[in-house]
Amino acid sequence: MLELSAAIAGLVTGGAYALMGLSILLTYRLVAVVNFAQAAVGAFGAFAMVLLVEQGLPLWLAVLAGLGVGAAVHALVGLIMVRWFSGAGEGIKTAVTVAVYTSFIALGLRLFGAQHPHRFPKPFDTPAFTLGNVVVTWMAVITLLLAGLFAIVPVLLLRHTRIGVLLRALAERPQTAELIGIPVPRLAMAVWAITGAASALAIMIIAGQFASDFGSQALLITPALAAALVGAFRSFPLTLVGGMALGILQSVASTWSEIKEYRGVLPFVAILIVLVWSRRKERWDEFA
Amino acid sequence: MRVPMRRPGALAAAAAIAATAVAGCDSGGDDTIKIGSIAGLTGNFVTTDVVETAKQVFEDVNAAGGINGSQVEYIVKDDAGNPQRTAQVARELLDSDVVAMAGSASFTDCDVNGGFYNQARISSVMAIGASPKCFQSPNIAPVNVGPFTLMTAVLQYASEQLDAQRVCNFTVVLPGSEDAVNQALGRWSELTGKELVVNDLTVQQSGDMTPYLLRAKQERCDAVLFNPTEQLVVPWLQAASTQGMTDVDFLLLAPSYTDSVAEAASGLGLNVYAGSEFEPYTAESQANQEWRETVQRAESPATAFSQGGYLSATFMVEVLKTIEGEITRESVNQALRGMEPIEHPMLGTPWVFGEGESHAPNQASKIVRLEDGQWKVVTPDFITLPRD
Repeated sequence: MLELSAAIAGLVTGGAYALMGLSILLTYRLVAVVNFAQAAVGAFGAFAMVLLVEQGLPLWLAVLAGLGVGAAVHALVGLIMVRWFSGAGEGIKTAVTVAVYTSFIALGLRLFGAQHPHRFPKPFDTPAFTLGNVVVTWMAVITLLLAGLFAIVPVLLLRHTRIGVLLRALAERPQTAELIGIPVPRLAMAVWAITGAASALAIMIIAGQFASDFGSQALLITPALAAALVGAFRSFPLTLVGGMALGILQSVASTWSEIKEYRGVLPFVAILIVLVWSRRKERWDEFA
Repeated sequence: MRVPMRRPGALAAAAAIAATAVAGCDSGGDDTIKIGSIAGLTGNFVTTDVVETAKQVFEDVNAAGGINGSQVEYIVKDDAGNPQRTAQVARELLDSDVVAMAGSASFTDCDVNGGFYNQARISSVMAIGASPKCFQSPNIAPVNVGPFTLMTAVLQYASEQLDAQRVCNFTVVLPGSEDAVNQALGRWSELTGKELVVNDLTVQQSGDMTPYLLRAKQERCDAVLFNPTEQLVVPWLQAASTQGMTDVDFLLLAPSYTDSVAEAASGLGLNVYAGSEFEPYTAESQANQEWRETVQRAESPATAFSQGGYLSATFMVEVLKTIEGEITRESVNQALRGMEPIEHPMLGTPWVFGEGESHAPNQASKIVRLEDGQWKVVTPDFITLPRD
């Protein structure tokens, strides 16, 4: 019974992981960068929002401003990528985002204070219904709906619109795309800004449930990457499923006395299992 | 926020620091008593209020003529919450000939430097000790109660005063502190003859807290102890509020007893209690008056941490004043070990360094309760635990 309650409670965490995982996948599918700094970028937007709310700004204005900050910060990362690393391989680009991540952590702790908690506004924190002894809030419902939306909209966009085709060309063959007249740098910057705003939105929604300091928020990158990996960095629906499963698993794990101490390492276990499974048909003993 | 210095500015500042260091050496010698301190001025765990208040105590003493005619030079080093830095700055302080440490507030100081202090034969009157090592060293005596004694005190308050029947514990165990936590819980059982209904020492610092609260709900806990960092306590209480746990007493430790938690957790409709390290800092009592005036002079925020800074510096000054003849590392050690216990109204038990392989002189706490966004004292007298 407790397992069932925990599983239901885990839906919210799962929705959060999925949201962040989908933001990462979106960046990867559109500009071909695995961005380790993405949760930190989102945290910048979310903390900007909470500071503005604390200053007395109406919530909707603060949210807009926070989305703007997320977009601007991610655009800055994008600018670095487009300017200096457009010709570099995926590995190098990823390494750059790791460096960006560590500097963002240091900067975020300095800017947003490390020691005192902020209370993230939860406008939809009223109970929606009670299921298996667990009170499920509207916030949880909205998180899940939004995660679903994040999974469906990009698929429709990429498959069925002209801009989707351009974006796919941009991600897969940037130089060819440029040669046939697609304004690659401008399009890429727009993608960076939009995915930055999406991450900020994801963190704003999920921040209230987790430890409310910048470092903890930025660390959401681990389960998010695990979720994206379940989707093999290709599939939006599978990333959604991966995030949800991970959240539920982590929540249920906290009720099993044998493994609850290891709840924190489950994303890594998930990453390991997915990697081994997805590479199972490869031959390891051949020279390259 | 600090504005980054331009290069010429940085050079000038470096030159100024170097000049001060040289001047310090010149004017040092027999006239100056050097006291060291390690605190977090940057990084994840910031304790500037501790050292600002301690510094003010020493400045006041200097202004009043110093200690037996000598001025105190208080040297504060920032360890940025980084263990490597903690080790490095301790060596820097000892190289600059400090005679003792006072007003330190670093989470890593005791674990990293405990052995070194022992080796170098230097004593530390710590402002805020948080790890078990701070209460197990022959060379360190904190002025605060510390998380472990506080855990016993808060549980005792719940079971004896609030009449909680089903007491539960959810604890984030930091590396190296599991034994101390178990001892604290065992001590409560010995004192009250009661057992915990749930004792979960596997709580993680990350993720959603709801599953733990669901367990507390299922086990019908009527008092729940949780020892989170300040950042985790608000999501914990918010989740409890969402799950409708309004008839449960939530017991917290001193790190949660802050103005920002009071503000962030107000209006959740929960019963929230916390243990204070000293005379509660939010109380406008006579006991706090001198400390409050000192903090105001230091232009530092009034916090429980700053009380630790004030008390450790004050006790150090009192002990230094008893030393006849030259003040050296050795004479300070002797004075601390042979000192008479000091009674202070901000503490429930007299503070003493004394002989012994370990020191936990402070065994008393008061309990505060969250009411209308403010912490109110609910125990007029200190809850003093009997010594082991």
